Amino acid sequence: MQYSFELEGQALIVTLRGELDLHTSPEFKETLTKLFETHSHVTNLIMDVKGLSFVDSSGLGVILGRYRELQERGGRLFFVQANPQIKRILQMSGFQKISEFANSASDVLERI
Amino acid sequence: MTSTNWIKLEIPSDTRNVAFARTAVALFASQLDWTLDELEDIKVAISEAVSNCVIHGYGLQEGLVKIEASYSGPELRIVIEDFGRGIADIEEAQEVGFTSFPEERMGLGFTFMHEYMDEVLVSSQLGKGTTVTMVKRVRDSES
Repeated sequence: MQYSFELEGQALIVTLRGELDLHTSPEFKETLTKLFETHSHVTNLIMDVKGLSFVDSSGLGVILGRYRELQERGGRLFFVQANPQIKRILQMSGFQKISEFANSASDVLERI
Repeated sequence: MTSTNWIKLEIPSDTRNVAFARTAVALFASQLDWTLDELEDIKVAISEAVSNCVIHGYGLQEGLVKIEASYSGPELRIVIEDFGRGIADIEEAQEVGFTSFPEERMGLGFTFMHEYMDEVLVSSQLGKGTTVTMVKRVRDSES
């Protein structure tokens, strides 16, 4: 599992690559939580999941937990470039109710 | 070549082995004629079942997870077993959103198993462990 981060104003762009599961999600959670603490102005989380090849409920739980932190700041969650399999599991988990899908991070940045 | 085959795996309940288990069983399952999406579905179901063994069965402590996968004709059967704590209320555990760790878990593990597999059977005894049996059948491409 690899991930990188980029700050754009009030948005944190997270690019994921690999598999997010029970083993890989704790470190990812810790890193994101620290970033939220360090950059308290961040209100929008843009998850670029083009390179995410697998996610299960353990990985989704970590994303949901971070969304709840954002929610307290009045923030929004976006998923960018989700492949059909990832989009399906996100939709089945109810993420379509709390997040938005987009084609690219720049599209989101223009929108927010 | 016969239309039946099987594998058996025994792995420690280590989080690192969740990916190994889903990949190994999906590789075995790929001997049948699934679509790529269906193979991904199988991986998710295995990942959830093995994660449950590691988190709930053994509470992230050391334990044994047994996995048997077999097929007969178009029917794939996967049995995942732990010898840990067991589940007090199987019906409740399978409800959408039920979780013992509401802070970080979504309670969707069994939901995904039911969604992605054709049959899911859970049996459990407190203090003795839990067995999850999942079945998925290859769809006839003509139908």
